[in-house]
Amino acid sequence: QLSVLLSLQLTSEDMIAAFSQAVDWAGCTVRAFAWHPHTNKFAVALLDDSIRVYNSNSATVPSLKHRLQRNVAAMAWKPLCASILAVACQSCVLVWHLDPTSLSTRPSSGCAQVLSCPGHSPVTSLAWAPSGERLLSASPVDTAMLVWDVSTETCVQLQWFGGGGVTYLAWSPDGSKVLAATPSAVFRVWEAQMWTCERWPTIRGRCQTGCWSPDGSRLLFTVLGESVIYSLSFSEYRGEMQGQVGGSKTASIVADLSETTFETLYGEERIGGEVHSMVWDPTGERLAVIIRGEACPLFPPHSGFVRGERGARPQLISFHPCFPQGALLTVCWSSGKISHIPFFFVGALEPHASPRRSPVPVLGSVREQPLFSEL
Amino acid sequence: GAWAAAGPLRGHWAGGSRSPHAVSPQVLGWRVAAAITWSVLLLPICTAAFIILSGLDPFHPVRWISNSFNDLYTSYVIFCIFLMSMVIIIISIFNIEFYAVVPSIPCSRLALIGKIIHPQQVIHSFVHAIMGMLVTWCATVMTKGRFQFLAVSCTPSEGLEDAVPQMCLNEYHLFFLLSGAFLGYSYSLFYLINNMNYLPFPIIQQYKYLRFRRSLPLLIKHSCVESLHFVRNFCVTYYFFGYIPKVWICTTMDLHTDGKLHPLDTLSGLLDLSLFYHTWLSGVFLLMTWYIAWLLFKIYATESHHFPIQPTFAQETDQCLPKILNSNPPLLIKFLALQDLMLLSQYSPVRRQEVFSLSQPGGHPHNWTAISRECLSLLSDLTQRLIAQQEAAAAANGRAKPPVGELKVPPQTPGIASMSPLVKPSLMPVKTSPGSDVGSPFSSPALNYKMGVVDIKSPWHGPVQSPHVMRRGPKLWTSVSDQQMNGSHHESFPVLSAARTGTEAVQPRFIYTWLQNKQEQCTQNILVSSQHPEASIQAVFSDAQMHIWALEGLSHLVAASFTEDQFGVVQTTLPAILNTLLTLQEVVDRHFKLPHVSSKPPRISGSLVDTSYKTLRFALRASLKTALYRITTVFGEHLNAVQVSTEHKKRLQQFLEYKE
Repeated sequence: QLSVLLSLQLTSEDMIAAFSQAVDWAGCTVRAFAWHPHTNKFAVALLDDSIRVYNSNSATVPSLKHRLQRNVAAMAWKPLCASILAVACQSCVLVWHLDPTSLSTRPSSGCAQVLSCPGHSPVTSLAWAPSGERLLSASPVDTAMLVWDVSTETCVQLQWFGGGGVTYLAWSPDGSKVLAATPSAVFRVWEAQMWTCERWPTIRGRCQTGCWSPDGSRLLFTVLGESVIYSLSFSEYRGEMQGQVGGSKTASIVADLSETTFETLYGEERIGGEVHSMVWDPTGERLAVIIRGEACPLFPPHSGFVRGERGARPQLISFHPCFPQGALLTVCWSSGKISHIPFFFVGALEPHASPRRSPVPVLGSVREQPLFSEL
Repeated sequence: GAWAAAGPLRGHWAGGSRSPHAVSPQVLGWRVAAAITWSVLLLPICTAAFIILSGLDPFHPVRWISNSFNDLYTSYVIFCIFLMSMVIIIISIFNIEFYAVVPSIPCSRLALIGKIIHPQQVIHSFVHAIMGMLVTWCATVMTKGRFQFLAVSCTPSEGLEDAVPQMCLNEYHLFFLLSGAFLGYSYSLFYLINNMNYLPFPIIQQYKYLRFRRSLPLLIKHSCVESLHFVRNFCVTYYFFGYIPKVWICTTMDLHTDGKLHPLDTLSGLLDLSLFYHTWLSGVFLLMTWYIAWLLFKIYATESHHFPIQPTFAQETDQCLPKILNSNPPLLIKFLALQDLMLLSQYSPVRRQEVFSLSQPGGHPHNWTAISRECLSLLSDLTQRLIAQQEAAAAANGRAKPPVGELKVPPQTPGIASMSPLVKPSLMPVKTSPGSDVGSPFSSPALNYKMGVVDIKSPWHGPVQSPHVMRRGPKLWTSVSDQQMNGSHHESFPVLSAARTGTEAVQPRFIYTWLQNKQEQCTQNILVSSQHPEASIQAVFSDAQMHIWALEGLSHLVAASFTEDQFGVVQTTLPAILNTLLTLQEVVDRHFKLPHVSSKPPRISGSLVDTSYKTLRFALRASLKTALYRITTVFGEHLNAVQVSTEHKKRLQQFLEYKE
């Protein structure tokens, strides 16, 4: 509970910096990054509180600015939609309605819906339902997370007492469950039909980050202060479970990332430590993590490292949601550069399997020869 | 814990033996019974809280608490609880009789006045006033002290040594009773004005207990604030008119006024903090118990219900989802069925499989055909209605252009007929409301179901439920507007006022006409400007929740059919579905481009009173787009093989490229 009290004393900027998925949120030029779920389009939130939207098919780069758009902590594109972007700001959630055919570089602030609720700020995490109908928002100071019906701007508070606010949200790709991390040593998994939850206490610290397997049956999460990745499996989702989250009793360790010596092209290097953020690609076959204080993300099961330019540290990572030939990892570096790293592979089952049916890779398998890519 | 006990209760009607066509009384009956039971069970808790708070004595806390607990078991408290349970049951019956899943939206202040003086509303108000009086009587009995009796013996004056003690009127008691009546009436009035009979369906599914717990803080806050307002209003009313009931009671019951006490209809009399506190507290108590009954009914009635897709036994055919969707059950049942369709299409692969299955002998996809047919007909109904509204709007715009001189134009198109006398083109060219006929006096409630769906049986405030209603309206109207055009309001005036005094209930239409004439004559500015285009648009979309669910259910089913439909039953209807959705999309787009249509939802404050019907059209627009994207995202390039018109093909391509 100490951390809860601490979090209340922090200023909201410190709080966002502490809970953001960006490694150095306060100092880095790129504060948040979001791929569009269906097209080659992404949004980048910058240090000056503006957001740029890049599109592979268009040379215009709209720049979004709004009076209320301050201290952007997270962004998310609405699924099953052309161009609606939700932005977690200091005091509210902004929902930008961008015209995908427009050539304007400065959409007016009239294009943004303001979703605010007293006591619900700063907003540090957002998650859209994969079916595109609801938006979740969370704040570390609000014990309730909000389920928004964005079109009508109405919200329902999902209150659960104990553990302080909610710092990080992750909706499972199949839409059945939501991970909600708190500032204390406990996290919850909500079942997204009747909205009941199960809570898991962690031993050491708060849950720092987490990600879901494509079929929503497995949750990987990391805990502040530990350099391991835990896995929590859930009973297969059969629909209309009537309020059963169905998680297994205990989480198992699937990967130990403590410091080890690796042979690299540049000689021996010691790599390892706490995980700051973690993403799982949509086919379920590659996992990328940022290790705190290290320059390299890492990819089990065929572990490999990505090295940036000299002195550049990774800030944010994200997988392209629909890269046809394998997986496309996007890394935002502390230098302000964004690099896309493609992985070409054929899926374990079939190359174009429905994303919901992709297999869960066996994690923690024997380390093979480390792959190494350099930019 | 204890709350879950209601669950097994419901199990009865889901599993018991049923006679055909009995699904609605069973579903609703159990829900109503459970809601009433819980509100009656919660009454003693509220009463205990009231007794403790009414005996508030911060200087002697121990004595206060022990006294309060002693009071709880006294016979008169138990009698009061019994009496108030009766009140709660009556209030619940009114909730049940008046509920509506489609709100009736008055399109102007005048229509609202018409609603208020409607006989059914008058009965509602009257009964609520009586009930309010009963509750405050119980409150005075439980509070004890100086408020308890209506007649008390007068303070003996020093000079006269009368042998016979005179009985005097206890004005505090009278004040309390009247405040109860006032609160009850105000509650009834606000119930009407805020459309509290509207049953909004929640945006997410939650257990009943959690929903109740979530609303409880709001309910308490709302009751406290509203009681404060009502009591303030009552004090003002009593200050001006309090002497009338006082004198009347004194004369009929032969009571005296006590000269020693301050009369309450003076400033100094009303500035009594204890009196104010107790009035407010009993107001909070009254509103809370009533709102709890209302809230519980809402929660129970809108809970999702699991309809089977295929009958297990032959006699259960009537309870199946396809059958219910295609028959004409009470609107609430239809809503529940569509909600269930949305849920199963989204969450239940097993039940989706049943939808896609073929009938055993014969091999026909009866389930899918029935479900998709009903959804499509709902959606095309909405399309028709919107087209009619847009045509009317276009006509109205054309009509609005002529210069100032032309004041009363006879209705040209059916759509704008009924309200046209209200809206003078010269005064408000833009605000001429195209769909205002919808909530207008003569759109008769065509679907007036027994279970109370918008059961205001007036000929004037049915919400629109089908395009037929719109077309029916103007016929009635023309006569009235003709009359006005002949300049006959002055003639009709006395006749109508006579009618008003005599047969108010029988001839509401005349009063309405009279009101309109009145309006024509004197209060153009105030009332005309209050005739709001926003309200009429709300009225057009008032049942859009059905269409939203139909869209969601249909699109989820179609998307799921890509992998789950073994027999290809969905393929056959895919062109029709795409056609309907794309046409609706065009029409909705056009609707939002109409001049006076706002493109953003109004702010909704998080209050107890749900106004979600005001924003249904935005939800409809969003779910329509999402539904189309859901289909195009799953089918992708395969959609090029589906036969649709070239125009729709273009539109589909836009969706495939994420450019809509």
